[in-house]
Amino acid sequence: MAPTIHYYCPCQSGESVQTPPPPHMASSSASFHPLHSLFFCEECDAVRCNRCVSVEVSGYYCPNCLFEVPSASVRAEKNRCARNCFSCPICRSTLQVVASDPPDGGDGRPSVSLSNVGEPPFFLYCNHCRWDSAEVGITFEKPTGLAAQLQKFEDSAPESLEFERLKEHFEPFLRTSSLSSLSHVPSTSSHHLPTSSATAAASAALARDVPGVGKYNPLARSRVGRDRTANKDEMPEYKSRMEIGVLGQLGSEGDSSDVEALRRMESAEEIASLEQRWGNSWTTSLRTSDLRPLRIPLHSKVSKRCPSCRHILIKPEQKAQSVRYKIKLVAANYLPAMTVALPHTQGADATRRPQAKVPSASDDRNAGAMMAGKSYPFHLALTNPLYDPIQVRLSVQRMHVTAATNSTAPEKARRTPFAVSLPTSSFPVAAFAEAWEYDDDDDMFGLEDDELGLEMGRTRDKDGKGKVKTVGVLEKRANVTVVGGEVVIGKEARGHVKFNMLVSYTYRSDDPLPSEDGAGTPSRTVAKTPEVKTFTFYTVVDLGPILPREEKLDPDI
Amino acid sequence: MASGRDDEQMRHADDENTGDITIGPGTVVHPKATIFAIAGPIVIGSGCIIEEAAIIVNRRKEVMRVGDNNLFEIGCRVECPSVGNFNTISTRARVHHTVRISNYCVIGAACLVVPTDDETLDDYTSIFGPAAERRIWSGRGRIQEADLRLKHAEYLREMLPKFNRLRRGDGA
Repeated sequence: MAPTIHYYCPCQSGESVQTPPPPHMASSSASFHPLHSLFFCEECDAVRCNRCVSVEVSGYYCPNCLFEVPSASVRAEKNRCARNCFSCPICRSTLQVVASDPPDGGDGRPSVSLSNVGEPPFFLYCNHCRWDSAEVGITFEKPTGLAAQLQKFEDSAPESLEFERLKEHFEPFLRTSSLSSLSHVPSTSSHHLPTSSATAAASAALARDVPGVGKYNPLARSRVGRDRTANKDEMPEYKSRMEIGVLGQLGSEGDSSDVEALRRMESAEEIASLEQRWGNSWTTSLRTSDLRPLRIPLHSKVSKRCPSCRHILIKPEQKAQSVRYKIKLVAANYLPAMTVALPHTQGADATRRPQAKVPSASDDRNAGAMMAGKSYPFHLALTNPLYDPIQVRLSVQRMHVTAATNSTAPEKARRTPFAVSLPTSSFPVAAFAEAWEYDDDDDMFGLEDDELGLEMGRTRDKDGKGKVKTVGVLEKRANVTVVGGEVVIGKEARGHVKFNMLVSYTYRSDDPLPSEDGAGTPSRTVAKTPEVKTFTFYTVVDLGPILPREEKLDPDI
Repeated sequence: MASGRDDEQMRHADDENTGDITIGPGTVVHPKATIFAIAGPIVIGSGCIIEEAAIIVNRRKEVMRVGDNNLFEIGCRVECPSVGNFNTISTRARVHHTVRISNYCVIGAACLVVPTDDETLDDYTSIFGPAAERRIWSGRGRIQEADLRLKHAEYLREMLPKFNRLRRGDGA
């Protein structure tokens, strides 16, 4: 398991606590995210993750024909594509509309040249598994507008009619209850209904006072209001359209007809698998031969907003076929990207790759894992995405490991499982620039060696001289800086080496606005004063599992 | 040594063929296709299309017979003792020497058809998916597909010589 770094988003921790939870707890993984899934709000200067952003739909489209469906038709078409897009019930790939074969000449070669349009009846055909809809009896006279042709059959299904009746029954109660809840609570941000800004504006407009008309209030003094309130609380009983048992006999859900079919079953392929069945809106028959093609469900394009300042973080383009974004404030454009590597395993992997992939006991131990009781260096590579150079300072967060075991010996072991040392001073990372602007790497390397002042051959130093080599800035290349750290693993340590690391970096921002805090320089000459901003975030570094030392089973000894 | 009726077939200079191979008329063998008749001879029918990096190998002493109008797509590997007509072996599929393919079969992309026992695939078998599930095709649309295959081969016969060198007669 390769070492990983995840970034911390404070949305889960509540308002006062800003430090991340201890990483060895299983529940803490919810707060840490890989960098590519995080966003950054410029107004709040904060990291946002997928759990805390508010999401609103900006458009619906069919993933097959890429047709943008207006939101009004989405409900009417039951969230599925209204054109010729169907998914194969067997393999769930897209179906193709094909014409039937022309009458056969008898020798396999077509006697009449095939026309472009083809001959009716048309049917749906899966190129992947060669299923066709004629097996379930669905054929069409025209090759276009298939969804409309199938609509009649869909709507007359008994489950669909039952659902329509349920909707009609509940609709008046839903309407009155939603209106009353709106008049109680003026549009505040922490409403239980997930309102987007559009609907919030609409509901606020609806609740506005109209001169000359009394405001609707369920607790009103008038008799009309009280009557409505009385009606709102009770609902007439719902009578279903048909008996419950009848639906079962139509082949929906397990009863005697299903048992009979199972008894007569010859092979496992006759029963439809779970993946084939759960796309349906209601339960259908279990048999594979009864599976029908479904219209392809629509996908939606979402735009994401910061939860506190409502600034748009992600806004996709309106066209369904474009994958770009109008607004794209991702954290990777603001925070330095960090990767961690264990150099001793990388050397081992490189030599092992050309050989056969047969792992032996010693291979497992060396590759990607650390032995208890030893110390290992690790490399952190930071990549600067900004156009200005930054100064980075790393610090390891103190971990309070509280053991909840009964015996005392494991408690002692867990108290100090491993110790991490990182360079404590701040180091610069160069600015991001185009590839041709960077100098040669050779000059950089020579400088670094002189600064460190050590031979590269020594690897087994654990004293102060060894620390200078492994802990500190190792390499500076383009906009990447590699720093080394060291982790010392205790003899009785178990589990994964995971520690929280606080990263703070300062960069020069050229904001023309006057600064709020007093950290800016007092003299204010325009475009000359460097406005230095500091941003701090937490990360969790996972270096991998610790392998306990096996003293008796070690084959190398 | 390669022998065969080369008058109407089309073979390219870059393909690696070894052994006793007979190829029918109208077959198109793309460059970088490999036909290995290591242990026994291979007989390929007419109108077949063997695309790049396809490997047809016969490791048994008996004759390996491949029928007419088959399509061996890129990167596939076929070792069957017999293949029928109008089959399609899709990209990167592998078919073991224990399988005998009949007619109008479709082996899907990247499918591994490697049963341990000898097996004959029925006509119109379609193998698809990562688990190589099988189902029987109803055969609807086979005439259109056959027509497409013929047009495919015809197009290749017309276009490929413009861009590749041909091997005519006995190749070394």
